[in-house]
This record gives sequence, structure tokens and C-alpha cells, in this order.
Amino acid sequence: MSDHNSKENIFMPRQAEVINSKWLTPTEKHFLLKMKDGKSFEFIPGQIVETGLPGWGEIPLGLSSSPTQKETFELVIRKVGKVSTALVGLDKGDTMFIRGPLGNGFPVEEFIEKDVLVIAGGIGLVPTRSMINYILDMRKSFKNFTIFFGCRDNDCRLFIDDLETWHTDDNVNCFETMDNPSDGWNKNTGVITTLFSKTEIDKETYVIICGPPIMYKFVIGELRKIGIPDEHVFVDLERRMKCGVGKCGHCQINDKYVCIDGPVFRYSEIDGLEEAI
Amino acid sequence: MQKLFLQDENLGSFVSTLIKNYPVIGPVAKKTRFVFSNLKSSDDLRLDYDTTILPPKKVFFPTKQNLLEFDGNSIKGCINPKNNILFGVHPYDIKAISMLDKLFSENHRDNNYLANREATIIIGSNVQNHYKHAFFGTQCKDMELKGHDMFLTKIIGGYAVETLTEKGNKLIQSGKFEQLDEEKIREAEEVNRKADENCPEKINFSSEEIKEKIRASFDSDIWDELSKKCFSCSSCNTVCPTCYCFDVQDQWAIDQKSGVRYRRWDGCLSIDFSEVSVQGGTENFRETRASRFRHRVMRKTAYLNDKLGFPACVGCGRCSGACTINIANPVKIIERIMEV
Repeated sequence: MSDHNSKENIFMPRQAEVINSKWLTPTEKHFLLKMKDGKSFEFIPGQIVETGLPGWGEIPLGLSSSPTQKETFELVIRKVGKVSTALVGLDKGDTMFIRGPLGNGFPVEEFIEKDVLVIAGGIGLVPTRSMINYILDMRKSFKNFTIFFGCRDNDCRLFIDDLETWHTDDNVNCFETMDNPSDGWNKNTGVITTLFSKTEIDKETYVIICGPPIMYKFVIGELRKIGIPDEHVFVDLERRMKCGVGKCGHCQINDKYVCIDGPVFRYSEIDGLEEAI
Repeated sequence: MQKLFLQDENLGSFVSTLIKNYPVIGPVAKKTRFVFSNLKSSDDLRLDYDTTILPPKKVFFPTKQNLLEFDGNSIKGCINPKNNILFGVHPYDIKAISMLDKLFSENHRDNNYLANREATIIIGSNVQNHYKHAFFGTQCKDMELKGHDMFLTKIIGGYAVETLTEKGNKLIQSGKFEQLDEEKIREAEEVNRKADENCPEKINFSSEEIKEKIRASFDSDIWDELSKKCFSCSSCNTVCPTCYCFDVQDQWAIDQKSGVRYRRWDGCLSIDFSEVSVQGGTENFRETRASRFRHRVMRKTAYLNDKLGFPACVGCGRCSGACTINIANPVKIIERIMEV
């Protein structure tokens, strides 16, 4: 039972100030935030925060910056529902309400001294960007580093500045594709799996995947062809995480709660869970 | 702890004294059924109830519970427990409460529940009349009955009373209790044994057998068959003493500046339970009736069983009675799956 008179409330958010904001695409807005209590916000790449506004509600979001960036952290909000529409209305100086970090995050230490491949589809780049920037900041700890990014069309291409930097950075092999590009697109055209023919991926590689539900099984099929074991593949899943603390039941996939057992899952642990992917 | 006797004629004054000192919540008649409700008088208490429409979890986990109050950007919590007594809880509901205690305590401790729970003194009572769908006699049989502070068993001439905690001991001074002799202790044990034995419905498989078989049936077509008529109304979730899923919503006050963030009971059988907003619409991770129906059964028999050591179904039979089209009865569901 609880400690006597304990009034600590797991639903109590903390305030963060919007230091900067910028639209990345017509529907996705980027926020640079700082905790108002002056404390640094410590987390692991892949962890989430419940982000909200009083009167509107909360939504789960993957942290988008690297934890090596100490003073501030970044979130990207896609305008889709009631809460996200309210949140994208915020600008510099406004207050956002944060609970977290929540969930497990990527097992970063397992990736050390390994080849790493990050596969991100569309908005899946938001949480994986945290790991990408972490690896780039700690580059010497990792071996070959490859990024596959794919999106539907030009309107879905986000973090363009980052992508352009990664394309020219010798520390990372970045490959990009688009399903339906506009005129002037000089990179690959097609779904994300077409990028596998562009480079050699070693079967000892550790892989991170985040993207729309449809993407996973095709990508995993390609990884299996290379011979990468499911134990080395990590997927970052999205569900209706409501409480964020493993109680409310909304994000449950079979016997796993995405908000506390995930959002990052080793693929070998969820393969065969019908509701997972 | 103590074992005492309370004569029939002294129950009323005991309850009346408690009502003077605490809010007392107990089973009272409501039309043809019973509900847990605040007792205005000891005469309202119906210890002969079969079962209540909603389980007593509502005392600590209200159907709608404020979590936060806000005014502009200022937010405060709403944990403010009131001492009370929950009187007349049947053993199966005591077991369900123990399960919720564990589930709300593990990982992130939820004091919105636990503070209310701690502020509540629980007085259990034996089942004098069986609900027509009760099967608690064959459910969670080996689970220790604990978490309550006092227990009353109806025997000839009165009640065999057992106190289990200091809180329970303190209540003794509120009534005219007498010594309980060995014969009455044995009589009470027999009454409780018979209550289990006389359940109108029974599950004749072990929870381990059931868990294994149900897990093995995950991909079976049986879920389509079983759920074909499901209205996705979640009545089975709503009346369940171990269901604890909830939704969190915000509500503005009329000034459009202040308001509350609250939770309300939610159920995994409802269509929108696993739905998320995505660009251009929604995505539902348990879109079919069969997958939702299966999730409830899996959760009760397998997923939570792994965590709790017992199935998260205590055999109260409320869901069997609440289901409009009579497909929620766990006894029948399990029998059908076991024969596949």
C-alpha cells in the first residue's frame, strides 16, 4: 500500500517554456523547450513524454533531441487531433506541460562498438533523430552508421536541414527515398525497402525502425534476408498511450504496455504478437 | 487479532455507531438489485444481498475521478482522501480489491487510488444468497483472503466476527461483541465453505490449464464465433471488479479558464478504446469485435494471471448478468474454448 498521506500524483505535469518553434512541414511543428524549474531534462533516446495543455489534454510524443543536449530538449507535434491542434498554437515564451520521461528508450549500451542502421519512415524520424544525434555526438563509440529515411511526398519531408547535413557528413551514410516526389527530386524514388539495394549492410548490424505500421513487416523481411537476427532489431511503436504509467490499458498489446514495456521493443520479443505490428 | 460474536439484535446498534463516526458504504436494495451506497440508517444495510450492480472498487476508484484542477497555468492535484467504512464486502470482491491494490501500486504508484484505499476500512461479510451467475467457489480458490479489516459470517443467532488488523480491532468498541466459542467458529467455517460449494455455476478446469489453452487459441476462429453478437458496449468491463482501465479527459469550467483533468472508467470492448488519431483519420489497433473480445478474455485469464498469480476474474458473475445478449459469461466462454 502507499506511504501514509502520500499525495505525490503521477498525473502532475511540469512546466516547460517554448524557447523556439518552427513549422517543419505544413502539419508538423518543431519545439525547442526548457524546463521552467531550471533543472536539466534527462532522458534516454527513444523515451516519450506526455505533453499537454490544461483544458485540452495530453498526448504521448517521442523526444526528438539527443540527451547530450543538456539544457534544452525538442519535440515535434503533428497537427491531427484536438490536443495536438491546441499544442501547435503555442509559440516562443508559451508554456507546455510535460510528464516524463516515460517508457524504456533504446538500449544504447548494446549498440556500442556495433554497426548501426536507423530506418525511419515519415514522422518516424522524430523519435529516431534523438538516437541519430546521440550517435553523432558520441561517434567514436559506434562503428558504421547508416540512416535510411523515406517519406511519402515533399510535404512529409521533415528535418530537411538535418537531412542535408547528414548527407554531407562523413560520419554517417544517409540514404533517402520518396514515394511520390515532385519535380527536381534528385534522390531515390520508391518505398523505403528500395534503399537496401543502395548499400551493403552487414549482418552484425544493430537496427532501429520507426515508421507507419505498414512499413515494419517489409523492412523486417529485408533485414532477415541480410541475416540480421531479430534480437538485434529494435522497433519503436506508437499506441494510444493515455496515462503513460502502465495503468489505463489503452496502449496494451497483448500482455505488454507500450508506455512502460516500450515504446522500444526488441523485435524477437514481439514477433508473432498479432496486435503488435 | 480477535474472534468475537455479535448477536443479530446488536448488529443495528453497531452499524448505527459506525455511521455516527464515519461515512459508511454498504449494500442497499435498489429495485430488484443491490448497490453499494452511503448508509443513512442501519436499517438500509442488506447483508443478505446476492451481489451488487457495480463492484465496490468505485469507493477508491470512482467512475469519474478528478486528477488535477487547473486555473490558467496553475495546476494542483486532487488527492484528498476521506476516511470511510466499506461494509459488507463479499470475499470475491475482497480478492478483487487485493488485485487492484497490487496493480495500482506496481511500477508508478497511483496515489489517486491508493490514498482512497488507505482511508477506507473494509468490513467483509459472507455470501448469504448467491447471484444466479456466481462461480466464485471455483475461482481464485487458493488466493489468500486479505486486505480487509474485519469479517462477519452469518451464523445462527448472529455473526461470527473476525478482526484482521488494528483498524478492525478498534471497531470493536463501537458494538456489543461477545466471546465466540469453538462451536461457533466451526459453524462459521462451514457456512463459508458451503457458500463456495453452492455456487450456481462452476469452472471445472484449473487456471493453469485455462491459461495455456487460451494462449494456444490466440489465432483460433473461436473468437469470431464467441463475439459475433457483441455490441461492443463494454458492460462486461463496467461491472467487473478487476477491470481498472480508464480514459483521461479535460473539462473546462464555464469561465473557459479553469477546469479539471479527470479519469473515467473505460472498457477494452468499446470500439474506440485502442484508436489513435492519425493524419487523415484514425487507426484502430483492435479493430475487430473478435480482437476486443479476445483481449478481455486474454487479460483476465492469461496476461494479468502472469502478474498476479491468479486469474483476474474472481467469479462474481456480474458480467454474465450485465451482457445484453448473454455472451460474456466466463464459465461458458472457457467451456467453449476448452472443447475446441
